[in-house]
Amino acid sequence: MPAEGLLALRNVWKRFHSGGTETVALHDVDFVIEPGQFVTLIGPSGCGKSTLFNIIAGLEEPDGDGSVLFQGQPQRHRDLLGKVSFMPQKDLLFPWRTVLDNAALALEIEGMPRKAARQKAAALFPEFGLQGFEKHYPRQLSGGMRQRVALMRTFLFERELLLLDEPFGALDALTRSMMQRWLLEIWARHRRTVLFITHDIDEAIFLGDRVIVMSARPGTVRCDERVDLPRPRSGEVMLTPQFLDVKRRLLAIVEEESRKTFSASA
Amino acid sequence: MEERPSLIAPVATAIVVVAAWWFLVPLLGINPRYLPSLSTVVADGLSIRSDLVAGFWRTFVETALGFLVGSLIGFAVGVVFAYIPILERAFLPILVAAQTIPVIAFGAIVVIWFGNTILAKVVIAFYLSFFPVTVATIRGLETVDRDRENLMRSFGASGRQIFLKLALPTALPLIMVGLKIGVSFSLAGAIVGEFFGDTVGLGVLLIQALYFEQVPRIWVLIVACAILGTIPYALLVLVERRWVWWRAE
Repeated sequence: MPAEGLLALRNVWKRFHSGGTETVALHDVDFVIEPGQFVTLIGPSGCGKSTLFNIIAGLEEPDGDGSVLFQGQPQRHRDLLGKVSFMPQKDLLFPWRTVLDNAALALEIEGMPRKAARQKAAALFPEFGLQGFEKHYPRQLSGGMRQRVALMRTFLFERELLLLDEPFGALDALTRSMMQRWLLEIWARHRRTVLFITHDIDEAIFLGDRVIVMSARPGTVRCDERVDLPRPRSGEVMLTPQFLDVKRRLLAIVEEESRKTFSASA
Repeated sequence: MEERPSLIAPVATAIVVVAAWWFLVPLLGINPRYLPSLSTVVADGLSIRSDLVAGFWRTFVETALGFLVGSLIGFAVGVVFAYIPILERAFLPILVAAQTIPVIAFGAIVVIWFGNTILAKVVIAFYLSFFPVTVATIRGLETVDRDRENLMRSFGASGRQIFLKLALPTALPLIMVGLKIGVSFSLAGAIVGEFFGDTVGLGVLLIQALYFEQVPRIWVLIVACAILGTIPYALLVLVERRWVWWRAE
């Protein structure tokens, strides 16, 4: 078998049946993610992004005609559980746990003794800008801080692939751009493979080595664009002709797909 | 958790009520048959203090035992029902129907089964307290967030880990509500159980006072029951403040 990257989706379909009607959520999705890559994925709402996300996280199974390969191995239902660091859109912190214990959750589940898990999590607090907040409870934190706690929890679950679903979607624009730059710094230092789902084109181009654009439903890969902007990237990069060039092309595609969704639902 | 409600307001209210009962009631010339003054009630209480203490202790033990067994079994049944819906659908309606039987009718049978023993009272207290705990546990476990459960599963959590680290803490605030209802019901069950005959207990003293129309005695027992009901309830509130302070979402 040829090298299949870290994660390969081959002809992935997902159809839902309810009351005799069939809805195709994903239609022949096909792409490969290489180790160490930062891949962003955008698409109009309702394009099956969440379904795709759940499949890669191991929470849902694709239909039988396609396959998902992880490190070259085909994955059946639930096989991927525990193999991918997963961060959903909402922070999903546990209100009864302190910030430190929230961050250490995945380590505890892996069987690390609580004390060691806390120690390991505590070491990351300065880097995540949360030093001094270890003993706080989630409701005492701002949205941006909660999101960083959730990200730290995902980070501490040390898996080769990080799967992030619109992690900054609920943040205000200013906090969001700070978080994007900060995420790139963290990524540069830790070099994990990232699949980052968003519906913000600027965010997708700014963060990614590659931007995958999904089509309107039934979702499939509409285009897969390399972003060769030099790293490390600062906010300035968004004003360069190269960035704007990529943005212009992607925007045209995303808008076309969004229009399809819009007219289909109207 | 951080804001500690002040005790000043409730204590002040209690003092006003006690003072009014003590001084205002005789001053207004209220017929003692309807409401004897507090001084009369206290004097009557002191005159039977050894019976009162023994009865208080006995009823407390019945309430506590009935509540402990009731809440443990209620919790266990709730967990089983929450995770095996077919059992909930099969048995919960029967439990609901059983709960609608007046405890007086049911108590007669229990006394026939278990005789005039402490066990009979404990069984009635148990019967009344376990149902609210069961219902609260089922409802609490139903509120567990699917997304959080998926997150746990993506970390490779086992069913046991999901239960202990997610489902149980999510359900606890509602379970506490069930426990607070359960403990009040348990006291009612113990007192009703004593009506069917015994020699010690607040319920026994209460039924005797009723027969002999000893109005101050009835008020002594009402106050005693109020104190007996408040203690376990207050303990549960303390437990809740200290360990179960988060709210169901």
